[in-house]
Amino acid sequence: MESQLSSLIVSLEEKEAIDECLRRLVEDTGATHAMLLDKSGQVIASYGQVERQDTTALGALLAGTFASSREVARLLRERDFRVLFQQGVRENIFTALVEEQWMLAIVFDKGTHIGLVKVLTKKATEELEAILERVRQEGKLRDEVISTSFRTSMEDTIDLLFRD
Amino acid sequence: MALINIAAREIHCKIVYYGPGLSGKTTNLKYIHSQVPKEAKGELLSIATETERTLFFDFLPLDLGRVRGFQTRFHLYTVPGQVLYERTRVAVLNGADGVVFVADSQRNKLEENVRSLQELARNITRQGKRFADFPVVLQYNKRDLPNALPVAVLDRYLRYRAGDGNLVERFEAVATTGKGVFDTLKAISKLVISKL
Repeated sequence: MESQLSSLIVSLEEKEAIDECLRRLVEDTGATHAMLLDKSGQVIASYGQVERQDTTALGALLAGTFASSREVARLLRERDFRVLFQQGVRENIFTALVEEQWMLAIVFDKGTHIGLVKVLTKKATEELEAILERVRQEGKLRDEVISTSFRTSMEDTIDLLFRD
Repeated sequence: MALINIAAREIHCKIVYYGPGLSGKTTNLKYIHSQVPKEAKGELLSIATETERTLFFDFLPLDLGRVRGFQTRFHLYTVPGQVLYERTRVAVLNGADGVVFVADSQRNKLEENVRSLQELARNITRQGKRFADFPVVLQYNKRDLPNALPVAVLDRYLRYRAGDGNLVERFEAVATTGKGVFDTLKAISKLVISKL
């Protein structure tokens, strides 16, 4: 069961730790890109040799694929599928679960060996699990961000933007 | 679950359009996409069959710009409405912060609406959330059709939630012309923000 938290708050320190973890993974494997996604499809962090313009759509699709594979697992009475591998002609994507909350996706071409990606991704997910654990404790930061005046400003923006 | 990234100063929320097949979920997103200013929207992504029925989901990222220093993003999704795709709906619903339930107002669709809403409640509960506390807004779509049921009848079957004394907010709509589409979006957005 998911916790009753209504939002997950990533602090400055934890974001730096995540960025560092992704940077090391990309450099050590020679991959082109690594992304950390929330299970809702949002991109938490992204690191790559080339800046991608399509990370938002990629995040939504990869999270969708993973959520769908979770349902496949349920039908097969499998506990879950912890990793997904998508093999292309030029590029491959290896995605691994970080507990049940996040996904680590790594994009690489044929210059990188899948075995190395598997081993180093495993190590990276363990680090990220520790970070996730700390992020879950950050609930107290919420009130600093989501104040009454923030909500009011937000409502004004919604009224301004969402109209015919 | 909304995501607040303090370092990047970003807030992300996920809103899912749910409801029976052909009730107008994709039409809602298409209308929003056609009206929101270019700088505030991304591409509308649709995973659909050859006959344009939603197979997996539609996805529309909206960027509200900076609100008190925080870049705020709403990601809108639709689910495939056909009964066959229940497990796919569960997958898309994963991590949602709020739901717009798009009901088809036509008389012959009442049973499908009721079943779909019951299914939604079940799926939210399975995610470990209380459906009575979960942000939901109703949209009675296709109000322009001659066989549309009176609002009072739809209210009777769709507007109450078990364990919830309050009525769910609801809007009449004709999504093909855009009527009620933004009223619905505004209401769910504000509801989601109020629960952050």
